[in-house]
Amino acid sequence: MNSVQSLIQPHLLAQAGFVVVVALTFAGALIAVFPRNILYNILGLIVSLTGVAGLFVYLGSPFIALMQLLIYVGAICISIIFAIMLSRPLHLSMPKRRLPKVGIAAGVGVAVFVMLAGIISRTSWQPAASRSSDWSVTTLGHYLLTRYDLVFEAISLVLLVAILGAIVISGYARRRPS
Amino acid sequence: MSSLYTYLFIAALLFSLGIFGVFQRRSLIGMLIAIELMLNAASINFMAFNKFLAPDPIVGQIYTLFIMGIAAAEAAIALSIIVALFRRLRSINIERAQELRG
Amino acid sequence: MTSSFFHNPTLLAAAVAALLPFFTFALIMVFTRPYPRLSAVLSIGAVSVSLICAIFLLGSHWHLEEPIQYTGKWMISGDIHIPFGFLLDQLSLLMLTIVAVISFLVQVYSLGYMAGDPGFARYYAFQSLFAWAMMTMSIAPNMLQFYIFWELVGLASYLLIGFYYEKFSASEAGKKAFVMTRFGDIAFFLGLLVVLLHFGNLNIQDMNSVDVTARMSPALITLSAILIFGGVVGKSAQFPLLTWLPDAMEGPTPVSALLHSATMVAAGVYMFGRIFPFFSNSAVAMTTFLTIGTITMLLASTMAMVTRDIKQVWAYSTISQLGFMVMGLAAGSYFAGIFHLTTHAGFKALLFLCSGVFIHEYETNDFFEIGKYGGRGLKVPIICMTLAAAALSGLPPLSGFFSKEAIMGALAEQHNPVWLWAGLLGAFLTAYYSFRLIFSILFPKKVEAVHQAEHGGHGHGHEAGHHHAGIYWVMAWPLIILATITLVLGFFHTPLENFLVGHHGGGEAHGGHHAWLLYVAVGLALSGVGLAWLEFGRKGAPQVGFVEKVEPISALFANRWYIDRFYRLFLDYFIYGTVSSLFTRNDRRVIDGGIDGMCRATVGTGWALSFLQSGMLQYNLMVMFAVLALVALYFFF
Repeated sequence: MNSVQSLIQPHLLAQAGFVVVVALTFAGALIAVFPRNILYNILGLIVSLTGVAGLFVYLGSPFIALMQLLIYVGAICISIIFAIMLSRPLHLSMPKRRLPKVGIAAGVGVAVFVMLAGIISRTSWQPAASRSSDWSVTTLGHYLLTRYDLVFEAISLVLLVAILGAIVISGYARRRPS
Repeated sequence: MSSLYTYLFIAALLFSLGIFGVFQRRSLIGMLIAIELMLNAASINFMAFNKFLAPDPIVGQIYTLFIMGIAAAEAAIALSIIVALFRRLRSINIERAQELRG
Repeated sequence: MTSSFFHNPTLLAAAVAALLPFFTFALIMVFTRPYPRLSAVLSIGAVSVSLICAIFLLGSHWHLEEPIQYTGKWMISGDIHIPFGFLLDQLSLLMLTIVAVISFLVQVYSLGYMAGDPGFARYYAFQSLFAWAMMTMSIAPNMLQFYIFWELVGLASYLLIGFYYEKFSASEAGKKAFVMTRFGDIAFFLGLLVVLLHFGNLNIQDMNSVDVTARMSPALITLSAILIFGGVVGKSAQFPLLTWLPDAMEGPTPVSALLHSATMVAAGVYMFGRIFPFFSNSAVAMTTFLTIGTITMLLASTMAMVTRDIKQVWAYSTISQLGFMVMGLAAGSYFAGIFHLTTHAGFKALLFLCSGVFIHEYETNDFFEIGKYGGRGLKVPIICMTLAAAALSGLPPLSGFFSKEAIMGALAEQHNPVWLWAGLLGAFLTAYYSFRLIFSILFPKKVEAVHQAEHGGHGHGHEAGHHHAGIYWVMAWPLIILATITLVLGFFHTPLENFLVGHHGGGEAHGGHHAWLLYVAVGLALSGVGLAWLEFGRKGAPQVGFVEKVEPISALFANRWYIDRFYRLFLDYFIYGTVSSLFTRNDRRVIDGGIDGMCRATVGTGWALSFLQSGMLQYNLMVMFAVLALVALYFFF
């Protein structure tokens, strides 16, 4: 143990882990965006989201990282997989990409990135004067049920409405087939 | 690794990738996936500000949790819209959904 | 404030008197319209309470020294305060009582007259509306409140004239009355605005104080006085807006009695009396009013000489008497005008109510026909009507005699004798046309018993006959009361004068000063009666008036001096032919064309721009984000 510690500096290890996590994130994102096979996209998304969960660990909140894995990877991605059956059968040939469209999309994406990067680098970020260092899940839960109670209720309501809405929308289409 | 800028640039890149995906994909599911990427970029931003700037490190986490809630709701609605659209058009190609074309 | 309000019987009585009819109106219109009897009971109950309050007020303030004014702020907008409240002084107390008495009697009378009418409840609702508006107007402390209720009275008048709205002529008459009085009211309102702009206040007491002369130039006072008098011209049917009143007789007869003779049309004269000191600041205006009053009086008297319609006779007579009141006031005698207003309210309401009995009985308006059918058989109305006609002609010792003498006295004091001669001529004509009617009914050429038989035919047996008698007596009692008032009111000349103008009034002088006038006036009235007797009364009388023998003049009178025709021509050629066709063209070409053009332009651009909507969701999104990025780049770098 001691030898390993002396061999590999802890912060080096942490840095290597960080690079891996970032690489996972972007690799997943690229896979999620570029291939035309929808299954690959979803798998890429899962990878990317896992990377983001790692980033959350580096940002000091293992709890949120777990939540990320649980909700995003565990729930949302799985529900998207269900939608795959609506997509074009895999054995048929893919339609060709239209290059002008991809070009324009890339242009706009780059423009947005330039804008964001510009804004990020030109803003002088000032930390708050006094900063508490209480990261515990206990406090989180406490806040959720006291100060952010209303927001909590609101998000619950939003989820409820979303569920009902989803049922209504798909049910409506069933009653009126084209 | 320990600088705010790193995280912000990562988030910006992820967001731009998401935008690119939304613009370029023809399948609605692909667009949905790209949107999830954009939402995650926002989450990273919140967490980063939370870590480096905010007076109270709880707030950003709560935001991130709510973003996840919103994402879940959004995915549910989007998927049901996709289902409805598929029933109507027999396809989830966004370029076919042109009924309002002028 | 509220506690003092309830502890002060004066304020309470005034508020109750003025407001109760309004609640009745609302109650009847909203709830009890299907129940005619209940509605009538409600309405009559309210008006009797008002009557009691009014009499209480009059009695308790008989020796009133200072006017009582009570106002609350109804609306405040910047510097403009619009107060609401009441002003109780001698004049308003008197008017309140007159309105309450006549309203009460007419409503009781209407129980008989309107019995079985499908619009019975509606009728009583409108009556209550009228009572509310008129009483509140009487006690208004400022001209704005006065004006508001003045218009409400006009509304009630419109509704009641057009009461039989199924009848085309009735709804036309209602419209005519509304529009013609509105003409006057526009002038009235402009006049009020002039006063408001230059004097800054519409409080009646302030307007009547000497302040006005200090703050407004004489020319402005004259202008505003003449404009305000426009309201009197419209409401009291003075020349040249006098033709709506005869047409207003399309309404039920009790309505004519209440609104179009005794109270509402007298509102114009009342307003004249209300701001009499203000008007008398301007000699030019007063002379104008005197002229208008004289012209009106003579014109209307001549019209009354040729018509065969019983209500029309009294309508013209009302116009003429209103002109007479205006003459009295404009001649400078406040008391004479108001006193004539009071007595006239009594006997003219009586005349109309009597006519109502005849019309109800014989279902005709032609008094020659009524005479033929045996009109003199109805003892109570014919006696009352004769009494009232004598009062109208100014025969002693009835009330009209005293008030006419007061006005004649005022006219005699004018430098120009023309006014006095005109007044005397008017008195002669009045006596002539009143008794032309009375004698025609009393001594018809040929009595036909047809009607009685016919009547027995459709009255079903004893019960119906009994019912009929009940109705007759419901209608007869108010007549008897009014006749008593007509008989005795004249003797209250001096107390009323003391009440209205105070003990130091100069009115006493004229009696002695113009003693000859008394005999001349009575003599002329008697000769008018005599002429009527010669032509209509005596055995073998031709029953054709001296005017009717001359075809052109009679046609001129019968057609109301062609005033209506003039208005018609004016409307046809000037308004419809020129102005409104210009406006029509403007509407068609400019306004409609402009709107059509805008619509077409909108549709066109929409059609052109719709090519931009490709239906491609992603292109739309791309444009959005590109613009966002560019905007951010523009702002941040």
